[in-house]
Amino acid sequence: MEAILLALSQVLVGIALAPLLFGITRRTKARLQYRRGPSVVQPYRDLAKWWAKDPVESETASPLTAAVPVVVLAAMLVAVLLVPLVARTPALPGPADILVVIGLLALVRFALALGALDAGGAFGGMGASREVAIASLVEPGLMLAVAVGIAAAGTTDLGAIAQRGDLLGGAGLTPGLALGVAAFGIIAVAETGHEPVDNPDTHLELTMIHEGMVLEASGRRLGALMLASWLKLVVVVGLFSAVFLPAGMADELTPVALLAGMAAAAVKLVIAAVVLALLDASLAKLRILQLPSLLGVASILGITALAAQLWLAA
Amino acid sequence: VSIGDGALLGTLALLVAAALAGLASPGRPTLRTVAAVSVTGAGLAIVLLAVAVLGGAPVAFQAGDVLGTPPLDVHYDALSGVFLLALGVLTAAAGVYAAGYHGAIRSPLDGLALPVFLGGMLLVLGSATVLSFLLAWELMALASAALVFGPRPGRTVAGAGYLYLGFTHIATAAILVGFAILSAAAGTLRLDGLPAAAPALPDWQRSAVFLLFLAGFGTKAGLVPLHVWLPEAHPVAPSHVSALMSGVMVTTGIYGLVRFALLGLGQPPAWWGVLVLAIGALTAVLGALYALAERDLKRLLAFSTIEHMGLVALGLGVALVGQSIGSTVLAATGLAAALLHLLNHALFKGLLFLGAGSVQEAAATRDLDRLGGLIRAMPATAGLVMVGAVAAASLPPLNGFSGEWLTFRALLEAGELATLDEVPRFAAYLAVGALALTAALALATFVKASGMTFLALPRSPEAAAAREVGRPMRVGMTVLALACVAAGFLATPLIDGMRGVADSALAGADATPPTATVPGPIALVPGPDYGAAVLVVALVLAGAVAWALVRWRETRVRRSPTWTCGVLPEPAFEYTATSFEKPARLFFEPIYRAQRELDVEVHPGTPFPRRILYHTAVDHALESRVYGPAHRASIRLAQIVRRLQQGSLQLYLLYIVAAVVVLLLVNR
Repeated sequence: MEAILLALSQVLVGIALAPLLFGITRRTKARLQYRRGPSVVQPYRDLAKWWAKDPVESETASPLTAAVPVVVLAAMLVAVLLVPLVARTPALPGPADILVVIGLLALVRFALALGALDAGGAFGGMGASREVAIASLVEPGLMLAVAVGIAAAGTTDLGAIAQRGDLLGGAGLTPGLALGVAAFGIIAVAETGHEPVDNPDTHLELTMIHEGMVLEASGRRLGALMLASWLKLVVVVGLFSAVFLPAGMADELTPVALLAGMAAAAVKLVIAAVVLALLDASLAKLRILQLPSLLGVASILGITALAAQLWLAA
Repeated sequence: VSIGDGALLGTLALLVAAALAGLASPGRPTLRTVAAVSVTGAGLAIVLLAVAVLGGAPVAFQAGDVLGTPPLDVHYDALSGVFLLALGVLTAAAGVYAAGYHGAIRSPLDGLALPVFLGGMLLVLGSATVLSFLLAWELMALASAALVFGPRPGRTVAGAGYLYLGFTHIATAAILVGFAILSAAAGTLRLDGLPAAAPALPDWQRSAVFLLFLAGFGTKAGLVPLHVWLPEAHPVAPSHVSALMSGVMVTTGIYGLVRFALLGLGQPPAWWGVLVLAIGALTAVLGALYALAERDLKRLLAFSTIEHMGLVALGLGVALVGQSIGSTVLAATGLAAALLHLLNHALFKGLLFLGAGSVQEAAATRDLDRLGGLIRAMPATAGLVMVGAVAAASLPPLNGFSGEWLTFRALLEAGELATLDEVPRFAAYLAVGALALTAALALATFVKASGMTFLALPRSPEAAAAREVGRPMRVGMTVLALACVAAGFLATPLIDGMRGVADSALAGADATPPTATVPGPIALVPGPDYGAAVLVVALVLAGAVAWALVRWRETRVRRSPTWTCGVLPEPAFEYTATSFEKPARLFFEPIYRAQRELDVEVHPGTPFPRRILYHTAVDHALESRVYGPAHRASIRLAQIVRRLQQGSLQLYLLYIVAAVVVLLLVNR
């Protein structure tokens, strides 16, 4: 019963809220640019529209094209349920390993990039090749930042990591953890596809990364891919809050505690959405060749963080 | 006679049968089939042997007599069993595959060399004496070199063959010297007698033996900087042989490192482990980078083998670091990670090489820039290779992920272990970053490899004319694909099993005094695994939900051309392998140092181009900066030395006289 309540609350906050977060980001960005912008619930309307439509498929596409949205959505759903968001216990039974969540994000990337190559257009290839190349800069930073948290907690189990304390594992702001937070921050922006790495609103094919990969998708398939991309924000915020900021998560699985946990999770997610909007509105996209400098900083911060934990802790 | 003994004798008999049939097979399809079936049978028998040995019943066998020592003297224990399992499964699959593969037996020599190669690997993995080991090692090296050369080697193939022979013999020399030092101290040629002698050696001698083994076995395993032969030699062999070379033969190098360096040299100093971690990280990252830049499908796979052996070396490094402070818990995690990953690697790399062979047979090229669209003509091969690609990119839920997960765990455990010095701990953390970079590059590599081969429109007439390969080849690939899926689902028992093997191997080799044994307060809690079975079930359920949401009643799918800014799509618009890797080539320019040539021919008197030629190639710095100059210098030296050797009898007599005079003067 408790497990069902937990799963239900995680689905409500993690999945049902995800489109709203994108709506908030887009609306905030528009307001910051003195535009009115679409309503915050527009993503739900878009989903409804896409789900009512039949897909158009490229003549050169293979059956893989139809399979990719299913794989992407499935992997992302599992990832959302694995990260502790509402409570300090993951919503799925069994071990919720932080490396598995990162692996699932990689699986999504693999499927998206492969699907983008299927139709044989230049824009799909462009998006896919950039996505995987940028990922090779992001991944080391992500792992090192996460390793800071793992090292502080002594486990790769997300539930156990989230149980350590409300803020930074109760250890206070050690130099190592501070550097880890900074590294994770840079990575989170790149991983969720926001400025200065990617622009989720772009309509110019030549600059697209994620949008380029889904350019040939339509109908419910496009809906699934877009939903998965919005869910990614939830997964990334979930990772961050489990490792660095578990404050507000439900300690036990009573309805009241879960409600409080849902509220806390929603607050964290909305803050993340607004921060991304601020970045989107205030930063220009970096030239792709300058990305190694930005993302390399995250890796170096991560390494410095681990060194600080080793040598400054004693 | 136990099951294990029977399996071993059966294997040897079947290999002899395969060799005889193979020797006579060119031009005789029936004998070809007999050879293929014998190889398959031998593979199954090896699997049986592995199962018996892993079940805890060691198998021993002796035969022959040379100067009072049997040249064939084998003893298989559980550690050998892991490698045997990889050898057996891959041999069986390669045997089935060869039944339908036109390039399988190009000449009588090929027919003979494959069984000899298999027998060599089989004996290497169990040899009980130095003599037996070195004989089997050379048998394996020479037979595989024969398969690399083939019947009529052209210039490039012969070059690859000689490079391979050169490296493998330098490696053997290093191993030989290492064994000589050890067995002189131990007073025995039996391998199980050597570890006892190691702790008594002076430290510098022990470290020298370690470095000799690291160089010798590391060459076979393709560790940087001794890897340069591997991407040349592996791709030119027939594809089922490439699968065995990349899947199993490289792991004999790892076997040597585990058996003789990790378990055979007493308690290691910490710097051995740090060195192996550094080499492993460098090997993994460079292998992944060069694989990503490669456009020849089989060379790409060979570089990916280098990358994965780097990951295996990371596990080994952790094991050495653990041994250095007597923490068998940490050492067991590292060793288990290495064993698990090499087993998984054998399965998916075997599958991918067999797939590459199918592609080459179907499309007559393995140039990724000329492939494409094969998924329509050969859906079975495409699906199977994509399974291998997901595994090789180390993605959950397939088997590649479990080995990488355990390697991450081993590194993090080393970083966490408070009783360890800061330097090895920090080295382990740096390796975490290297491992993450490697994983991301591998993902890019295998998106490229499978996407460029199978998806979009064909980029050449050959690719457009491709047809699906025959049933035996598909069955061979299917066996390995199923093994990849099964090993991913069964990751938890496999991790437990590898830990068991590692524990028993480390306990058997415990030459360290018990006072030095720290009962490892292993930091990482809880969980020996990541719940692979739960993950698979969750993914299947989520997949069903997603399928219902996306595809349920999706009846009217309209087909229309791909958007290419208003013109009809054609292959020239597609991204090629060269363009796909471009962003990464720019990001990692300091390592690639790519050369590019752009040649524009214009219509005379106009600015309009008639032909644009673009060529780009990455610079393999180690080859161009170190091995190239060394090679040229050795040729120059040889030419100087050659002046001594004019072929004139008088001159040689003069040398003899001079030598006698010098000797007389010296010994006056």
